[in-house]
Amino acid sequence: MDDGLGSAALREIGLSAAAFIALSALFFGLIGREPIAMLGAIAEASVGSGYALGESVLRATPILLCALATLTPARVGQMSVGAEGQLYFGALTGTGVVLAFPQAPSVVLMPALLAAGAAGGALWALLPALLRVAARVNETISTLLLNYVAALLVTWLVYGPWKNPHSQGWPATIDFPDAARLPTLWDSRVHAGLLLALALAVLLHGLFTRTRWGLVLDILRSNPRAGQQAGLSLARQIVLTMLIGGALAGLAGIAETSAVQGRLQADLSNGAGLSGFLVAWLARGNVLRAIALALLVGALLAAGDGLQMSAGVPSSATLVVQGLLFVAVLGVGGWRARAMASRRTGAVDV
Amino acid sequence: MSSVEIVLSGLLISALRSATPLLFALLGECLTQRAGRINLGVEGQMLVGAASGYGATAFTGSPWLGLLAGALAGALLSLVYALLTVPAAANPFASGLAVWMLAFGLSAYAGTGLVGLRIEGFEPLAWGLTPSIVLALALVPLIGLWLYRTRTGLRWRAVGESPETARAAGIRPWAVIVSAIAVGGLLSGLGGAALSVDYTRTWAEGMTAGRGLVAVGLVIVARWNPWLALPAALLFGGAEALSLRLQAADSAISAHLLHTLPYLTSLAVFAFTCLRLGARRGDGGAPAGLKAVFEH
Repeated sequence: MDDGLGSAALREIGLSAAAFIALSALFFGLIGREPIAMLGAIAEASVGSGYALGESVLRATPILLCALATLTPARVGQMSVGAEGQLYFGALTGTGVVLAFPQAPSVVLMPALLAAGAAGGALWALLPALLRVAARVNETISTLLLNYVAALLVTWLVYGPWKNPHSQGWPATIDFPDAARLPTLWDSRVHAGLLLALALAVLLHGLFTRTRWGLVLDILRSNPRAGQQAGLSLARQIVLTMLIGGALAGLAGIAETSAVQGRLQADLSNGAGLSGFLVAWLARGNVLRAIALALLVGALLAAGDGLQMSAGVPSSATLVVQGLLFVAVLGVGGWRARAMASRRTGAVDV
Repeated sequence: MSSVEIVLSGLLISALRSATPLLFALLGECLTQRAGRINLGVEGQMLVGAASGYGATAFTGSPWLGLLAGALAGALLSLVYALLTVPAAANPFASGLAVWMLAFGLSAYAGTGLVGLRIEGFEPLAWGLTPSIVLALALVPLIGLWLYRTRTGLRWRAVGESPETARAAGIRPWAVIVSAIAVGGLLSGLGGAALSVDYTRTWAEGMTAGRGLVAVGLVIVARWNPWLALPAALLFGGAEALSLRLQAADSAISAHLLHTLPYLTSLAVFAFTCLRLGARRGDGGAPAGLKAVFEH
């Protein structure tokens, strides 16, 4: 998983980037936009000014946490796509704490709401984890289905029991008190959730690469049978990593709610869960690489919002570009892995 | 009418109406998985099917052309999945998610012009049955007989069981797998079009809301058997119809909470199926080529 950046890896990155740019240029051509000008406009709208850069970093924050939420269970070979639902449920439980104790001082409320958000995300990951170890239920499918349930629970609360009675039509909870708002940084909308995400990424990287636990996960992933014969418990590590992943995505949810929206509302994720999965996949299990890639994907999506306003390009165009990025990387990666394997064995399958 | 009567009257027809888009997708994914590929891109294929089907119906005035356009769009998109998983041999789950992501963007982009357009859908034939429902029901025996009783059906199943053995028997596995993916794309695109053109008669971004993902899980519940696709689809359709009926009968229960029912029902039967398959240590009809996907 932690292949270094040797020449083969660099060549693969170069080929993926070339394929991605070619596919994006093709798409822009098809929708009648000058490809080079569009790529320039995306760069301009994502990093061209202090404001644009801030929006990119803002967008990258939940994506990074969701990427970590995907990477952690992937260390034992679990392919969870549940970050989206865990994000929603973490936002829900964290908001619950704020609504229960709106008068609490910040020193109590802030840690409590973050802890509740993390606990909620972990709770939402518990069911697929238990189903996986007890009944061999494929975690990819169970986590995907639960995403819809979690989003519906938030929708129910903000339209129903938790709806701010004084808001006219807009379905949302009351505005969070100042004590429940995560601080923002550098005069921008970027918030302390970014520092939390970066610190957690570095911590996880250390745990995965420098500790006995990281080694246990590596053994169970690469050779589960041998690991279990040596007395390691795959089931325990699956549940543990899924819970940690859920907690990370739950933090993403409550951080967005507390810092950006300032109240719980139905459309809080902006697709961060799935973008996080993409980032985790691009990073090939390497946490530090995920930081850079989360910034890249966050910048792309933030550019979409900017272009919608400045150039009249619908923001869905950047969703297409994000999909093309995934397709390019999967295609190039798979094709190269296969070419190398057949060079080694001389065999051609299928 | 008493509230119980409101809940039960016409429930089967409502369940069937709700199950129809899913049934198309389920039948298609059933064939794809039979040939040994699990395609989460069904969700995306349904989305582009729904958008292009709705657009074609709005511009031509013909819901039949809408269904055709949806099916073609689904098939075209599924070729992206085919390219990723056959020549490039990329991870099937990730490839499906990539196709979904791409399709979400494409359908949202193409669909911006469709919001608010009105269409004339199908006239019901009898008892509220529309042509798309009849078509889906007719496909169940057709695909069932085709898969189990024809030589091509046998070849497809042989590839799903073991590409190596199939190749030794003179079959080109890649051609079968690509065909199975394309037919899956065609049927899920048709399902998406049935959803927007016939069931909801509207287009909204991301409107399939997980139906394609549910289809991937329910194929396993149906044990990869097209005949069982109908009852499996009716589980979801029945849960959705019931949740709509309960809303009509008792407005005290939140519609949003009731909407979780189809997902929870699908997850419950999926988990139950996996538990049974695991306990028996048998394959429960799983194509042998798929087993690697389920074992870690």
